Amino acid sequence: MIKNTKEIKGKDFDVTRSADEVRNLSFKNHICIGCGICESTCPVGAIDLGDVATNARAKVDVYFSGHDKIAQNINEPVDLQKVNVNEDKCVLCGMCSGLCPVDALVLTIDGVPIAEIDEYPSYNVYTIIDDDKCLLCQKCQNACPREAITIKRQLPNRVDLVTGEIEVNEEECINCGVCSELCPAEAIVVDPTTGQESIVIDKDKCVYCLVCKKVCPVNAIKAVCRSCSYGEYDLDPELAKVKGSAIIEDALCVRCGWCEGVCPADAVEVKKPFEGTLVVDQDKCGTCGACVDLCPCNALAFPISEGPGSRMEHVIASEEYCIKCGACANICPNEAITVTRTAIDNTPINSITWNKAFDALKN
Amino acid sequence: MELKVNQDNCLGCGVCVIACPVNASISPENAGGNGAKTTEVVMMVENGFIKLFSPDKCEECGTCQMFCPVEAIWLE
Repeated sequence: MIKNTKEIKGKDFDVTRSADEVRNLSFKNHICIGCGICESTCPVGAIDLGDVATNARAKVDVYFSGHDKIAQNINEPVDLQKVNVNEDKCVLCGMCSGLCPVDALVLTIDGVPIAEIDEYPSYNVYTIIDDDKCLLCQKCQNACPREAITIKRQLPNRVDLVTGEIEVNEEECINCGVCSELCPAEAIVVDPTTGQESIVIDKDKCVYCLVCKKVCPVNAIKAVCRSCSYGEYDLDPELAKVKGSAIIEDALCVRCGWCEGVCPADAVEVKKPFEGTLVVDQDKCGTCGACVDLCPCNALAFPISEGPGSRMEHVIASEEYCIKCGACANICPNEAITVTRTAIDNTPINSITWNKAFDALKN
Repeated sequence: MELKVNQDNCLGCGVCVIACPVNASISPENAGGNGAKTTEVVMMVENGFIKLFSPDKCEECGTCQMFCPVEAIWLE
């Protein structure tokens, strides 16, 4: 009979059926967003969302109400076993893999992920950072709720941005160290130890601000800023450029759009898998914070009080950054959240079963 | 009774091919979807979809129907 093997590695696992054709379903817990689409999609009922709901709600005891949570408004990653697959029921059909919005479940056939096989559908999603427009400001890296973006940048040398002359007359210098203490660029090192006094100025660090010259009690420092005196004609603008590139870890990216939203240079383009709406019923919300914790997009947050007596919403929902995955609606103990999916962008497929499964995601 | 398939529903998972006891007796080494080497078996997955090759050999046990996740193969 059918016998699958399951290999568990921490919270990740692989379900494998070895035959001439090797089918392997791989689950990565750190990528999973706990949305539950796989659970509702699996045609044989082999998947369950595990203890995402109960455990996340149990965590609610930790915070009692607003204030603790507000202090840590941005969600703390919920480290739970999010999905379990019963290997005795699983037939390795790949439906969970095809419908998983983040590639946490991936079916490979003979080592090839089904997203790369034409016969299987996948979502039309992407996150692109245009290197030509990118200013390498790292705003997206800081905003990304999944730490999926790394901006690697190489700063220009300070010495290429300013020019000038600086000299210290060591005969006159009394090694008082005042210049060293005031130097904003930490370019001056003074050793005041009796008998071995010294002063060293690092010209690679000096920005010719002339603070040392002005403060020196014995006028031992001679300095001039050439950039100030003669303009910047002898500086090469090429050398002043910040170089680098943006790296997106595709597996972690959930296409929430924070990077696109915060980018000051319009360098980011994000395509989400679903269109729809996210609505929080403020009257039903019990402010437990389970949704705030679980939301992979930081699209749900507690508002911050504007002062005593101000009346606020219980939870604020930002549709702009929501991917309509539905994790919050699943987890909410008060059924206060409604996520509606109105359109799904996936590659075309002939199979009626697959199309029905995609249609079932709409509501 | 007759063994029927609906390729529109099929996910190509190949569970029926493995589960079928007739297949197992004809081609024990080949159980497992696309890779079967002989068309002597009752059914196989071809190009990602289930296809009947020798439905006359079917013993009508219903095992395939039981395992199929999407009603792509059944006895009628």
